[in-house]
Amino acid sequence: MRALIAAGIGLAAAFALVLAVTAIGAPPGETSKKPLHTTVPAHP
Amino acid sequence: MRRRASLILLALAVFFAALSPLIRWYAFPRLAKVPPSQYQDMVLEAKNATLLDYATMKSKKVPKVSIVQTLKGNVRAAKKVKERTGRDVVVWDTLSYVADDKGKLVSRIPERYVFDAHSQEPVHAGGEHVDGEPVRRQGIEYKWPFLTEKRDYAYFDFQTRTSAPIHYKGTRTVRGIETYYFEQTIPWTKVPVPKKLALGATPETVEQIGLERWYTTKRMFWVEPATGAPVDGQEIHKEEMRWKDKPGKKPLTAFAGHVKMRPDYQDATVDLVSSQRQLVLLMTAYLPWGFLTLGGVLLAASLTLEARTRRGT
Repeated sequence: MRALIAAGIGLAAAFALVLAVTAIGAPPGETSKKPLHTTVPAHP
Repeated sequence: MRRRASLILLALAVFFAALSPLIRWYAFPRLAKVPPSQYQDMVLEAKNATLLDYATMKSKKVPKVSIVQTLKGNVRAAKKVKERTGRDVVVWDTLSYVADDKGKLVSRIPERYVFDAHSQEPVHAGGEHVDGEPVRRQGIEYKWPFLTEKRDYAYFDFQTRTSAPIHYKGTRTVRGIETYYFEQTIPWTKVPVPKKLALGATPETVEQIGLERWYTTKRMFWVEPATGAPVDGQEIHKEEMRWKDKPGKKPLTAFAGHVKMRPDYQDATVDLVSSQRQLVLLMTAYLPWGFLTLGGVLLAASLTLEARTRRGT
């Protein structure tokens, strides 16, 4: 019974971690202030 | 004490073993996406190309033609589309600016490309255009999906405003990276004249002269499959101005050249793709397999400890 509880805790922790990380996601950031090029850049 | 330790090891074993498939099949598809704020530029060159001189209306050889492509993620527009559709989208405002060997404008074509940030499928949420003309894209453009497959894809050609298959032709190694090679040939097709051309020429002036624009290209991409990002791209590209209603009159070559990535830009692209590839592999291979192995080792340790405990009592 204790083994089952331990396995359950491990499983729940894995689900909680993955769900939390995917729910947070990545911030969208902001539109770059750099222009669309109308000259040939000298370097990347 | 041993029993408690074996239970902790068992919990950790289940934790890591469960993380393995969760990361690969739940987290990765949700976390792997093109950021909506991405900004990227690329310079391609055609050496010893042929260009039409709009002052003399004659074709001439030039040492070099540069094509400058800029992709700029419009975050505000992406948020609006997400509010309407509920999907994670990327809105790219792009510009393909063609310059002659002196850096003067040859043509420029802006685009708006709206696509799903995870799958790269086009999202038809309004605002899509090529050179101000509304379009409805099918297939991909500029980038392949994450975990690109060895198969043909539909690829959008912004000159013809249509999609056609781009064929998978096998694997190739580019600067030490294994890539999937894709090829597409667009046969001679009548295409719209760009709204901005050299010397202020416009579609109207071209039409008044009695010309129409035709184009053909062989498009080649070498795609890093984990990220879906091309690490090399080339085109054997030809454009003609053909005389309307005068089929016997020789067409004018508007552009002809073999377009390749400029080496410094290809180096930068290879560096960027190599680092992004590691992130994708981390979520699709390194962590899932590492955690699964760790889970197995912890389970074995837990069982061993439990067996010793039972033997001791």
